[in-house]
Amino acid sequence: MAIADDEFRGLIEAHQRMVFSVALRLLGDYATAEEVAQDVFLELHRSGERLASEAHVRYWLRRVATHRSIDAIRRRALRPESAAEEWIEEQHAGDDGPGIDTGLQARLEMLLQTLPESMRVPVVLRYQEELLPDEIARLLGQSVASVKSHLHHGLKLLRRKAAITMKEYVRESA
Amino acid sequence: MNQPDESLTSFERELTRAMRRVDPPEGFADRVMGRPDAPSVAARSKVMAKVIPMPRRMQAWAGGAVAATLLASMYFGEQTHLRHQRERAQLAQRQFDTAMRITDQTLEHVRLQLQQAGVEVGN
Repeated sequence: MAIADDEFRGLIEAHQRMVFSVALRLLGDYATAEEVAQDVFLELHRSGERLASEAHVRYWLRRVATHRSIDAIRRRALRPESAAEEWIEEQHAGDDGPGIDTGLQARLEMLLQTLPESMRVPVVLRYQEELLPDEIARLLGQSVASVKSHLHHGLKLLRRKAAITMKEYVRESA
Repeated sequence: MNQPDESLTSFERELTRAMRRVDPPEGFADRVMGRPDAPSVAARSKVMAKVIPMPRRMQAWAGGAVAATLLASMYFGEQTHLRHQRERAQLAQRQFDTAMRITDQTLEHVRLQLQQAGVEVGN
């Protein structure tokens, strides 16, 4: 059964934030992230008859968004570090949540973009999508041990980089 | 999404806060719906194809016809060019012949006048 136009628009509006955020955090580039996110939704429409439930749609979208973003990184030999600062500043402008250091968060996002793809993907799925390691393993088609290892090393690397650059950040702010 | 994990370290909690989802640029859904490969746009294209129908066999023939027309145009263009070149060569030859005839007549006239004047002109 094909998805009707209205229903399709409803699905886009319900899941665009998740799909776009996954693509953006993996690619680090607004334009490419939007392109990938659009492709994911059109792919959803073409596969519509196989999607049974809301949970299935969400799982499908997250998985396809992740894989299409990885494809885009590899295909275009993208270096997300170069575009990271621009959108991070845009995203955090005027973002004054209670007790949240937006400068620190912006730094963490920039550091995330410097992680190798194999570590960045599980880190994004763990800390943005709040998936558990076994859920990430299923989504990526990897073993749980491999995902845990990438997560562990990714987090360790991120923390080490943060320890170095945050000191610089503190010095800059002072 | 799962419930916040109490076992997260402070660094991980900071990371989770830093990685909140973000909204796509304004008008994202409209742009998806407006893409040429979007379902509604593709459907409109199919409707247009029905308004101007062309059978599949005819489509194949149309391609062949276009190619044949191009080849024929090239052939006739080349032939026309050669014909023009031939015509220009013939015209030049006629002009040369006329010029030679005039020259011969002039020389003969001069020779006759010299002869009448008693001047011998050797051949």
